[in-house]
Amino acid sequence: MIMTGWSNRFFWLGAAALLCLPISVSAAEIRVKSETLVRGYERDTAAEEGAAVIPVYEYLQIDVDTPDEPGLSMHLYGWGRADLADNEYYEDATDGELLYGYLEYRRETARFNARLGRQYVFAGVTNESIDGLRLGSDLGRYFAGSLYGGQQVALASEQGRDGDSIYGGRLAHRLPGLYELGTSYKNIRNDSSDAEEMAGLDLTAYLPYDLNLHGLSTFNLITEDWAEHSYELRFSLGPLALRPYFQTFQYEDYFGTGANSANPFRFLAGSDEELTVGGADLTLPLGAAWVMVGKFKQYSYEVLDDNSTYYSAEATWSGADHSQIGGEFGFMSGDAAQNDYYLARLFAYWDQLPEALPLGFISGDLVYVGYDRAIFGEDKSLFASFGGGRKFMEEALELKLSADYSSDPYFDEDVRGMLTASYRFGLSR
Amino acid sequence: MQTKFWIGIGLSLMLLALGACAALDSGLGLPARHMSAEELGGETKTCTNCHDARGEKLAFGSFNHTATWMETHRQQAYQQEAVCTMCHQTSFCNDCHATQVELKPSLKNQSQTYRQMPHRGDYLTRHRIDGRVDPPSCFRCHGNPKTAETCARCHG
Repeated sequence: MIMTGWSNRFFWLGAAALLCLPISVSAAEIRVKSETLVRGYERDTAAEEGAAVIPVYEYLQIDVDTPDEPGLSMHLYGWGRADLADNEYYEDATDGELLYGYLEYRRETARFNARLGRQYVFAGVTNESIDGLRLGSDLGRYFAGSLYGGQQVALASEQGRDGDSIYGGRLAHRLPGLYELGTSYKNIRNDSSDAEEMAGLDLTAYLPYDLNLHGLSTFNLITEDWAEHSYELRFSLGPLALRPYFQTFQYEDYFGTGANSANPFRFLAGSDEELTVGGADLTLPLGAAWVMVGKFKQYSYEVLDDNSTYYSAEATWSGADHSQIGGEFGFMSGDAAQNDYYLARLFAYWDQLPEALPLGFISGDLVYVGYDRAIFGEDKSLFASFGGGRKFMEEALELKLSADYSSDPYFDEDVRGMLTASYRFGLSR
Repeated sequence: MQTKFWIGIGLSLMLLALGACAALDSGLGLPARHMSAEELGGETKTCTNCHDARGEKLAFGSFNHTATWMETHRQQAYQQEAVCTMCHQTSFCNDCHATQVELKPSLKNQSQTYRQMPHRGDYLTRHRIDGRVDPPSCFRCHGNPKTAETCARCHG
């Protein structure tokens, strides 16, 4: 309760401080981006077999700022959905979410940054959406820090928000070009009791021979044990880039995040399992256009006494702009046949079409998966999607039309269509 | 309780340090916003086309968007979020990292097949296996009560 009060005070103090800052809006730009998606497909509902489902999504983004200058700015992004057919497919015919909406103040010196409102925080052990205040800054040349406090958005559905709070921060020491070592902390309280408390260490070290070490360790302060260790090396042998990595997860400490957890992960927290993952990625560019990638990833379970390994190979050709053609083949193989499958994918995107054509780009995606053990009597999935689109009105408006087909264990045949209209409004004042 | 006291002291000291140091020049001189792809001529695709892999201000090589970047950018985002925001608005990250979205990224941006995105194709079936084999990778994006709403329809 004390910390809830503390985080609330932190929030309101921040609000007051932001409003006291010198504000210049003379060169502010207002940019609005609207993205409207209309989808159409059929589903069996409690009331009707093969009922039409026609959801319309609106994604709206508004930014008010001076892009090339520090100062005060405002950013907002969210989505809403309505089912035009209203055939009881969705639990609620309308839905939506404010993904972020915050005021931001930036200073040129020290990269100082203050955000107030709904925002996403990525910092050490924190990967959360909060309603609150975040402060971040370089602390001289060799240190950097960030702090945040407020309420966690994800816990709003757990008996309301009374007594909920989140706070934490990250402090990093660095020698640019040599290393960065960070320590971070996160505390989430739900209904006035601790829901999750994590501390972490993160490290990036730039070693001799162009060897880079990246990694992080997370400690669960409630279960008092390590939740995760994830470390990787990155280096090159001639043109070949390699990334060997090693990870361990203790399920009780990793998934044991109290009221902040959810099924099916709550169940896993009680399994006492320990997962060890080891693997490597190999990336080989061939000329300016081709990139070949090989992946190997092995999973070992201590309690289950089981192993699985995923292997894959990818080849991609890239042309001008976003034009790209590629393919991937991978397979999962292990002790349990129910986990075995192979996957093949071909994809293409081409935006170098002749001017005479009515389309600016075409795209295609084909994914085929074969399962060693049938699922609902089916041992394969086939998915195909095709799309095309064009920009209009000096590229402010983009229209895209796509359709996809799937035949898989859940759907004998499923066809869906989607029309997307994106429009960028740009106003200066 | 004693741990919490010291954590509170540490966070308070950092708040003071943030206030005191915000006006000091760190000497790194990184801009808040990077030039846009259009301003760069639309051709530059990796940081090290222009910057040193181990520059004095930043090890730009770590931020090259390689063919495996979608699966490997976690550490860079956790340590240097400010570098991400030089080029990307949060709405770009929200295609995957969001508290509540109904459309998976590869469906919302279905025709952008050139982008690396998770869960392509019939992932409803494949997640039965990937979820058994590698649940920590699910947890990072679906691990709290709101982000797990997509799981709750079947998993309770």
